[in-house]
Amino acid sequence: MSEKVIIEGEELTLHPSGALFWEKKSLLMLSDVHLGKISHFRKFGTAIPAQAVQENFILLRKLVKEFEPFQIVFLGDLFHSSLNNEWLLFEHWVAATPSELILIAGNHDIISPLRFEKIGVHFMEEWEVGPFYLTHHPTKRKGKLNICGHIHPAVVLRGSGRQSLRLPCFFLKPQQLILPALGCFTGSHSLEMGRNDRAYVLADGEVIAL
Amino acid sequence: MSTTNPYTDLLPDQQQLIEKAEGWFAAQNWQPFPFQRETWIAYLQGKHGLLNAPTGSGKTYALWFPILMESLRLSGYLDPKAKKPKRGLRAIWITPLRALSQEIYQSAERIIQDLDLPLTVGIRTGDTSTQERSRQKRQMPELLITTPESLHLLLSSKNYPAVFAQCQAVVVDEWHELMGSKRGVQMELGLSRLKTIAPQLRIWGISATIGNLELAREILLGPDSPAYLNSVMVRADIQKKIHVKSLLPQTMETFPWRGHLGLHLLDDVIPIIRASKTTLLFTNTRSQCEIWFQKILEKYPEFAGEIAMHHGSINKDTRLWVEQAIRNESLKAVVCTSSLDLGVDFAPVETVIQIGGPKGVARFFQRAGRSGHRPGQDSVIYFLPTHALELVEASALHKAVEKKAVEDRTPYLMSYDVLLQYLTTLAVSDGFYPQEIWPEIQSTFCYQALDEDQWKWLLNFMVLGSQSLRSYDEYKKVEVEDDGRFKVNNKGIAMRHRFQMGTIVGDANLTVHYRRGGYIGSIEEWFISGLNPGDVFTFAGRNLEFIRVRGMKVQVRNSKKRTSKVPSWMGGRLTLSAQMSQLLREELYSARLDKEHQSPEIQALKPVFDQQRHESIIPSPEHFLMEYFETREGHHHLFYPFEGRFVHEALASLLAYRISLLRPVSFSLAFNDYGFELLCDQPVDLQEIIDNNLFTADHMLDDLQQSLNSTEMARRKFRDIAVISGLVFTGYPEKGIKMKHLQSSSQLLFDVFKDYENDNLLYTQAYRETFEHQLEEGRLRLALERIAEQALVIRNCSQPTPFSFPIITDRLREKMSSEKLADRIKKMTQKLKRR
Repeated sequence: MSEKVIIEGEELTLHPSGALFWEKKSLLMLSDVHLGKISHFRKFGTAIPAQAVQENFILLRKLVKEFEPFQIVFLGDLFHSSLNNEWLLFEHWVAATPSELILIAGNHDIISPLRFEKIGVHFMEEWEVGPFYLTHHPTKRKGKLNICGHIHPAVVLRGSGRQSLRLPCFFLKPQQLILPALGCFTGSHSLEMGRNDRAYVLADGEVIAL
Repeated sequence: MSTTNPYTDLLPDQQQLIEKAEGWFAAQNWQPFPFQRETWIAYLQGKHGLLNAPTGSGKTYALWFPILMESLRLSGYLDPKAKKPKRGLRAIWITPLRALSQEIYQSAERIIQDLDLPLTVGIRTGDTSTQERSRQKRQMPELLITTPESLHLLLSSKNYPAVFAQCQAVVVDEWHELMGSKRGVQMELGLSRLKTIAPQLRIWGISATIGNLELAREILLGPDSPAYLNSVMVRADIQKKIHVKSLLPQTMETFPWRGHLGLHLLDDVIPIIRASKTTLLFTNTRSQCEIWFQKILEKYPEFAGEIAMHHGSINKDTRLWVEQAIRNESLKAVVCTSSLDLGVDFAPVETVIQIGGPKGVARFFQRAGRSGHRPGQDSVIYFLPTHALELVEASALHKAVEKKAVEDRTPYLMSYDVLLQYLTTLAVSDGFYPQEIWPEIQSTFCYQALDEDQWKWLLNFMVLGSQSLRSYDEYKKVEVEDDGRFKVNNKGIAMRHRFQMGTIVGDANLTVHYRRGGYIGSIEEWFISGLNPGDVFTFAGRNLEFIRVRGMKVQVRNSKKRTSKVPSWMGGRLTLSAQMSQLLREELYSARLDKEHQSPEIQALKPVFDQQRHESIIPSPEHFLMEYFETREGHHHLFYPFEGRFVHEALASLLAYRISLLRPVSFSLAFNDYGFELLCDQPVDLQEIIDNNLFTADHMLDDLQQSLNSTEMARRKFRDIAVISGLVFTGYPEKGIKMKHLQSSSQLLFDVFKDYENDNLLYTQAYRETFEHQLEEGRLRLALERIAEQALVIRNCSQPTPFSFPIITDRLREKMSSEKLADRIKKMTQKLKRR
């Protein structure tokens, strides 16, 4: 179950996979997919289940089918490493996806922009669109709300009887919305919630506002 | 020498050579012990064996002599025509601790010097310099002292069979220590290879007394192997009297109900230290060791320079200095951890103090044995309780020492992780042919039940990284060459494998240095991550100011500021053995008896027992006690089986799981050696546990399996498995080599296996190990059967009882929940809002 929020006057859909959909513009935002990570490990002799490689592509197909977005923007760290055979799977996916694809550069994106351009993925350093400023690293820009990734945010909840839970989340600060990592095998980083922060946790196929 | 010659069954050459040993003993004015002669003869007759002898009994001479003499004989020493004896490796001495290698080296060197023998001894461990290693590569010493890990490193070098071809002896020292760990498995595998490439090999183990000595011999030599059938057990049978004395608090009323430091009794320790030449104070953790050292000096500054500290994280030179200072009698006391448990004879030690429960009778024996090494001397050990209920343990230890109730060591079975590492090691050196190695593997105790499917699975896993080939997959580790040889040809893979060989998995450690470079020791990463520059902490007995972290190095400077921050080291949580648990229960039940039937420890506990009776009861053998009370933390449900930590961990998970089937509920679980707690945000009706027969042994395994899925136990086991099998690369901080792009957490990996490959043998191994080594299935069943005979007693208390206190204050906890995630989040956010 998705959660709808109004940010800067715009209605945004927070999807339990960690994707963000801006319906008015038909723009789907995804962050930190880290494609190629599993293949990279395998290439260097670490036997992570090869099955898991497919999972990211299955999810991408599912999201495209659900939202039928006009544009998809990746907020960085789309590809984890240097080129490997997972790129071929990515190429297939790109060819089969009718949406326009945009990649905002992340620190892991070391594959040449030309390669992305060649298969039809536009490469950008940053993107201003409407009231939003899209980047990979959390950044400030006056008068804009920064939507970014990089952090892989999570929050820790505590309850009575020494209960605690750690969940990945969309992390909303006054001028910033940090998206959770979309990829499997990516991990997360706990953030402390300040007075003016809000978190939307991903829990068992639901998005729950705290 | 005795009048009858014991050596008549030996070859004439052997007789001639063994006279040298007799002569050497005579020259020292010594007389060989019967067990030493027995070992000499058995060895010279070509037998394998296990020598059961404690530290300080002369066990090294029992084996060095026949090994040296046989080396001489076989190299042509007695042959007048041979000009020079043949050189090359003749014997390997395996020790579990690098620190012990020096001691063993010196005893061999002493014989060689005294008798002027044409033999050389060498040490090869992680501490050996690169020059020394390459010198050894050109010319191996006849006698090599090494560790299990370094032996495997030798197996990972090119042409290794040539090095071992002439080897006629391998001695595995402290086998009881290795056997209950994966290092024991590593040893089994190493021996299985040596048996083939060194056909004359004789295998000998040396073990302290454990409950399952016969099994220890079988595991070492291989079940039903020719070596086992041609082997002997030699027992030193050196009786030593052990005196156990408990330090009793003056007033029980002010003695704490919980805690693990024991500083309340610090003043009582001082007269003991003063009265004896050298005292060893054994602590259970390194942080406890640091604190005791610091507090003694704070309160009794006159000891400065006369006391020292010894634990595994202190740098090697300091440790060696301390060990030497003990021998020189220049120290009054040493505060130490298990780092001084093994080997190293310290004759001047007169007294041993054990601070806190030793969690094992064998360990307690071993520590007591550190004192009174002089012939005819008795061993004296003081037991210092750190909290009230530990006095019960003290009382039980008395009985255990009387009954010599020593526990078993449980060997590991079917450790796929160690096998994968070993096979990769062979693939890194000369490569291996499966049909040649398979019978060797099957001949070991650990893998005797390995079937062909599993073997094929492992080979596939090494080559394909899975069980089937996928077209896009670029997995690369071991390759199969045209002639069927399994080989690693990639230099990077070989290098990473060599860096990571071994079966001891620790947390990420950082090294602590002065800014100018002086090395102080190593510390766990999580402790440092909680410090800010300028913070002062105590480490290696010094107050240090944290400057910064550079790479894998922590930079510090000395500080005069006082501090309460002491790094603690995780792990080190041990459990009571079955026998010890039983003795513990018996002691506790004696609380109900008359004073004259009670030990002094139990008598001293009277005020605590009175308080327990006031709120609850002291259970008798017929009763199983359950307590309930509420505090600000939540609703506490306490259970007291007195079965030891691991059984309680299993029982807690089992019970929590069964309750969670009745309704959605979330628990936080805590356990110690006495009992366990289910903490909840709502009260659980304990009568319901009785009515629903939740302690039944029926479906125990299924329920436990289910409960494992919802706790973290298997996940934690998987961490070690992932590292040992090479799934997780930990890098190699000391070499300054970072492999960040290949590092991942075993946690993430566990989840990926769970979701995509839950039939992976390494993943299933995590669950099996949890059952066999953590939960002790067999003991759990016995415990449940015992509980079934008991009357279940429920007590609702107004406040925490003395029995409950050490449990409810434990921070290391397990979780279990059957509530929907969304519901739990809702409850937690409500709490968040109330604040």
